[in-house]
Formats: sequence, C-alpha cells, structure tokens
Amino acid sequence: MPRFDTLNAAWMVWHGPAPAPEGTVLEQSRELNTFLAEIERRAFRMAQVALRDADDALDAVQDAMLKLARNYGSRPSAEWRPLFYRILENGIRDLQRRRSVRKRFMTWLPGSKEDPDNEAQDPLDNVADTAPAAPDRLMQDQAMQKLESSLRELPARQREAFMLRNFEGLDVAETATAMGCSEGSVKTHYSRAVHSLREQLGEVW
Amino acid sequence: MKEQTAESRQLALEERSRALFHESVDSLDMALRSRLTQARYAALAAADRSGRRGWLLRLSLWTPAAGVTAAALLGITLWFSAPLGHHGVMSADSQSNFEDLDIVASSDEGSGDAIEMLQDDIDFYDWADKTANSEPAAEEPV
Repeated sequence: MPRFDTLNAAWMVWHGPAPAPEGTVLEQSRELNTFLAEIERRAFRMAQVALRDADDALDAVQDAMLKLARNYGSRPSAEWRPLFYRILENGIRDLQRRRSVRKRFMTWLPGSKEDPDNEAQDPLDNVADTAPAAPDRLMQDQAMQKLESSLRELPARQREAFMLRNFEGLDVAETATAMGCSEGSVKTHYSRAVHSLREQLGEVW
Repeated sequence: MKEQTAESRQLALEERSRALFHESVDSLDMALRSRLTQARYAALAAADRSGRRGWLLRLSLWTPAAGVTAAALLGITLWFSAPLGHHGVMSADSQSNFEDLDIVASSDEGSGDAIEMLQDDIDFYDWADKTANSEPAAEEPV
C-alpha cells in the first residue's frame, strides 16, 4: 500500500488535483454565479468611481470575475469576496497605469490635442436632460456626484480602504487581504480618507 | 464632547455616503445590468472552458513524457535482468544460430540455382515430358 500511496502522490504532483466530480463542479459553479450576481453591481460602481468610465469599469469587473472563477473557484466561498476585490483593485490599477501611458504617448503625437479618454464619448451624453426630475432625486444625484469627485481626489489606497470598508462592508482583516497590506495600514488609510472627505465635502453635506 | 461630535460627524458621513452609493447601485439602468449579467456568464463559461482545457493540456503534455520514461525503464530493466555473460560476448548458442542462418541462406541459394537451371534447359524438360508420356521404347537387351 505505501507503494500505491507514493504513486498516487507522484501522480498528484505531476498532474495537479484531479478534476472534481461533475456534481460538485455544477454546485460550485452555481454558488459562484450567485456570489458574482450579488456583488457585480457594487463592484461595477466602485470601478466606475475609480476609472470614470463605464466600459473600462465593465472590463475590469469581467476580468476580475474570470480570474476569480479560473484561479480561486475551488477555494472556500468565504474567501471569494476579499479575493475578488483584490483582483479588481489590481485590474483597476493596471488600467489606470495603461491609460496614463497612453495619454503621455498621445500628447507626443502631432495633432492629438484631444483627451484620448473622451475619444469614444457619445455626443448625446453631453446633451442636457430636459425631463423633469424630482427635487429629492436631483439632490441625491448632486450629492453622489460630489461624493464621487471627492473620492477621486483621494490617494488610491485611501479610496480603496474607504470604499471596501464603507461601501462593501468588509471588515478590517478582509480589507487588508483585498488591499494586500496589514490591518494597521487599512486603519490608517481609512481614517485619513474619512478625514479628507469630511474636509472636502464640508459640514453641510 | 468635542470627540463625540467628531465621532458622530464621522458616523454621519459614513452612513450618508453608504446610502448614496447603494442608491446609485440600485438605480443602474437595465442595459448596464444586462451587460453585467452577460459579462458574468461569459467569465464563468470561459473559466469552465479553460479549466477543462488546462487539465487536458497537462495530461497531453505529460503523457508522452511518461511514455518515454516507461520505455526507458523497461529497457533498463531488461538489460539488467539478462545474465551478465550475454552482454557483448558471442556465446556458443548464438554461434549455432548463425550457422543455422547460413544453412538456410545457402539452401535458398541452391533453390535459386535450380530455378535458373530449369529456365536454361526448358527445352530438355519439355522433350523429357513428351517422351515419358509417349509409348515406352523397346528395352535394350541385357
């Protein structure tokens, strides 16, 4: 029997764990689908706040979904949330870096004075909405716009800490996993973020 | 008192910002929700495909290597399981085998000659055949 165990262990090393039975895979896939469906809209909005672009935000969220499902789908579902946000934050940072490189490159090219971020913008987006909006709704929209612009003014790590803790409801340990830093750093980033936001948004907000 | 005010202001900010954020999430339009759903399905399907392909790829990469290793192991086993005197030294048995091979080769050679002879003297054999089928000739007196 020890010979069989050795062979079995060698097989596992060479081939990795054997695929799970079909029923388990289906169950896992269904669970992952439920988790992603529950999280996707908040993740999208957080990515949109950071990236200021719906398409880029959608790409980042889809990429994070794919990576989570491919690399961590077999992990316990309790680990998915911080892992997902870690992947998403990495994706957002990559997109921002790529965008800044592209912007720098575009400014060198002759005759490209326009902001490349706005190149695919729909002109209809700039048309004023003439439909009457409820005053409450209007005030909420304005408050949200102010909050978004204030969040964008924050350093990336502070913004991440604030959104993950306050919007997504992660605890300090989960936020630390998602941000890839210590719990102490999370507390510092969060505290600074709250302080900055309070200053930017003012007393009346 | 001042600390309490700061804390309550922080709480108010957190609650207000959270409420606004969730409100904005709930008010996402249907087109965007649909795109998110499509993105989710696409991600899950792609992950499923790549998972299966990964397993098959690992299998297809390692199977030839395992085959070659098994063949090498078999060769080594056969080599070392044979008696030592048989490696590189011609024994009496193998000598006799070669002689047998020579005999077979030479008999083949002989049969080749016979066929050649048959082809050369085909007229003679034709005559002999006719003669044998015709009436027997008178026996010579002893």
